[in-house]
Amino acid sequence: MPPPALPRCDIDEELFTKLYKENMDVLVAVAVRKFQVPHVDAEGLAHDVLLSYLKRKDDIRELHKWLIGAICNASRYYWRQHGRNIEQLDPEREAIRPDPASTNILETLPARIAAGEALAGLSPRYQHILRLRYYEGYSISEIAEHLGVTAKYTQKLVAKCLRRAEEVFNPKGGGKKK
Amino acid sequence: MNHSDDVAHLAECSTCRQRFADNVVAFDPAARRAREAEFTSTAERLEHERDGAADVVARHLRDTPVDEWPRLAEVPELRNNAALEQLSEEVRRRLHRQPREALAIANLSASIAESIPSSQYAPVILAQLRANAWKDRANTLRYLARYDEAIEAAERGEECLAEFASLGHDRAIVRMVKGTTLALLERFDEAHAILSECRRVFNDYQDRRRYLQAGSAEAGALYEANRMTEARQLWSNLLPVAIAEADVDCQARLHNNLGYCETHLKDYVSANIHFSEAVALFTDLGFTTEVARTERGAGLVLIARGQITNGVARLNEARAAFKAAGVIDEAGLCSLRIVEVLIGRGEEAQARILTQSVIDEFITAGLDERAINAVVRLRDAIDVDDVTTETVRTVHAFVDSIRQESRDVAN
Repeated sequence: MPPPALPRCDIDEELFTKLYKENMDVLVAVAVRKFQVPHVDAEGLAHDVLLSYLKRKDDIRELHKWLIGAICNASRYYWRQHGRNIEQLDPEREAIRPDPASTNILETLPARIAAGEALAGLSPRYQHILRLRYYEGYSISEIAEHLGVTAKYTQKLVAKCLRRAEEVFNPKGGGKKK
Repeated sequence: MNHSDDVAHLAECSTCRQRFADNVVAFDPAARRAREAEFTSTAERLEHERDGAADVVARHLRDTPVDEWPRLAEVPELRNNAALEQLSEEVRRRLHRQPREALAIANLSASIAESIPSSQYAPVILAQLRANAWKDRANTLRYLARYDEAIEAAERGEECLAEFASLGHDRAIVRMVKGTTLALLERFDEAHAILSECRRVFNDYQDRRRYLQAGSAEAGALYEANRMTEARQLWSNLLPVAIAEADVDCQARLHNNLGYCETHLKDYVSANIHFSEAVALFTDLGFTTEVARTERGAGLVLIARGQITNGVARLNEARAAFKAAGVIDEAGLCSLRIVEVLIGRGEEAQARILTQSVIDEFITAGLDERAINAVVRLRDAIDVDDVTTETVRTVHAFVDSIRQESRDVAN
């Protein structure tokens, strides 16, 4: 049953329309270009972000920072939910707009399986760092802030985690020799 | 300014946002139009409800006896988002002074939120208002030390949000309550993991206030888990954020916490500096009781670490500050801590003088007779040279339990 119609009141409908039009495209663009979320899902995410803003709006000081943060966070959560195994688009649409996550999947699949195996052999802290960097797309400076260390140290830490992953995956020949 | 496609820059630069979004074409124009219409109608609906709600919740709560509040769930004008927002505000207002009333309102709120028909709002909005109601219930239960129920309520809130990728902010707000509750249950590793994730999410959303709250609670979990160096690092990292936010209260609490950390790490000079900063900031804010609590905390931790002279000086400051704030029971408890140190040092004469002054102050303030009698017996024991530090600790614990008891009754 649809909600009952409400009497008119002094609400600037144009203001909300403008807000939607001004921000929808940029949110979709961030989800698609920065996080490779398929376009059709990116639109759904961006729409939900804008709707959720309506409930929180009195709590938000800087609209654009909040919206951009929200779409980045939503895109990361999206990939966590989908585990990079999203449903295929219908073939017609796929041909027009190929899903970047499934393009050349046969070429990249072995690497992904190998990465999963290597990651499983690492300590929780190393796994956490590599997940942040390579699965959730955080920048070095964001990870540095999260860990409470400098960006330079974080860069070294990520390199160390990668070396360790390499040693775990290829303990005999491929790992770095001490 | 250097223009770029970096997300942090996009959040600040309208030119780059426009350029970045230039070649976006709606995937399905008809669906886009329908969504736009849904957005504006939802915005209108929420604003309309807020405009029309005025003080509807306050009025109903005022005109209905507390034990009949559950039946308010059936009142039509309370069954919408605006009323739920007002109920949430009522929970917040009552939490510290009337936590049982706060819980009754949080229960009412959860009951309304769960029974609002799904056709009334878009699924995202419905999930937000339900999760918020469960978060309020979780927070109130945590305040009442009903931790297991608090975690259950928080998890119910999480469930409401689980399917929505776009509700990261709401999710972090709910999970922060869960994280702080886990810390109170001494499940520090779980608490740390959740609070750390919340801090990261609040940073994504540029929600500085909650970023500070989550970070501070996360450092608290590290501190309780005896991971002092990490706790110190995190609290130190939060200080510049609190300064940039001009959040003086937060700065004071961070300095206070850093004082504790430094004491455990045996850097007593830094500890004293942090405690003094905290006292100065609380004084600026006019938080007289917090000044006294900071001094007392500093005193106790310094004494525990063998810094007796510094510690007693802090306890004397605390005693004076509690007296000035009219909190006589807490001033008396500080005095008993000093008496314990004096007895330990064999300075019975000084201890007797201080004990007598506690008795006089308790009598003047009309405190519970059982507390006064306990301190009188302590004085008598000093007189007959039959007192140990353990005796003083027992009296302290007894007086403190009476103080807690009277506070519980008041609540």
